[in-house]
Amino acid sequence: MSDLIRREEFGEVVVLHIGTSSVDGISAAAIAVACSDMRPITVLDFSEVSFINSAGISALLKFVVSARKAGHKLFAMNLSPHHQKIFKMVEMSRFMPTIEERDLVTYR
Amino acid sequence: MERVEVRIPSLPSYERVVRASAAEIGQACGFSTERVEDLKLAVSEAVNNAIEHGNRNEASKPVAVTFALDQEKLEVRVIDQGNGVGQPDFSRRVVEEYNLEDGMLRGFGTYLIGALVDDYEVSSSQSGTTFTLRLYRKEHGV
Repeated sequence: MSDLIRREEFGEVVVLHIGTSSVDGISAAAIAVACSDMRPITVLDFSEVSFINSAGISALLKFVVSARKAGHKLFAMNLSPHHQKIFKMVEMSRFMPTIEERDLVTYR
Repeated sequence: MERVEVRIPSLPSYERVVRASAAEIGQACGFSTERVEDLKLAVSEAVNNAIEHGNRNEASKPVAVTFALDQEKLEVRVIDQGNGVGQPDFSRRVVEEYNLEDGMLRGFGTYLIGALVDDYEVSSSQSGTTFTLRLYRKEHGV
């Protein structure tokens, strides 16, 4: 498993904690490999992420496509207010809605 | 007028150097945290465009970035040495169902640039392309 991602599983849920500050063209490929094994409910945790650009958004959209093909639900957690704004601008939030950490308690 | 110039090889990893410079300069301008994030993203997109579409990832061709600050604004120029590009499309681009189905997962960069800065222009010729981005200081109470 890549150092970029720390994986936490419980029940049907996997939380993928992204451990790099930049989701960009440099980190996208490594994150894609590390995140390829999804569960019915897959949550990407952005708490360590301080920067996402369009190359990063493209990488995240690959997850969206994979999750949809597998019938899995994909969520974003701990997005900064700035990244929530960017996700809204490109309507990414329609395909990767945000979830609160407290909402995961019921699955634990 | 205060000027800072950064010159990088056309390798994607060096985009982070320019982005870090943008963050420092944005803070030095007194921009809000959110405004600095907007600046970083817009500059990142312009530099990646210059590397990928301008210089076509030829490391030996530099991308020159100039930050010019006066009392009115911060102006950022991103200059490549490519063969010129067509007029970029700054119109709104969002994730659509059909894009996902067709695997068309890119193309948000120029929309984000246009949406995040106050003013922008592009000039292109056979000797290169210049993206000019401006963020005004007074409009935002800085």
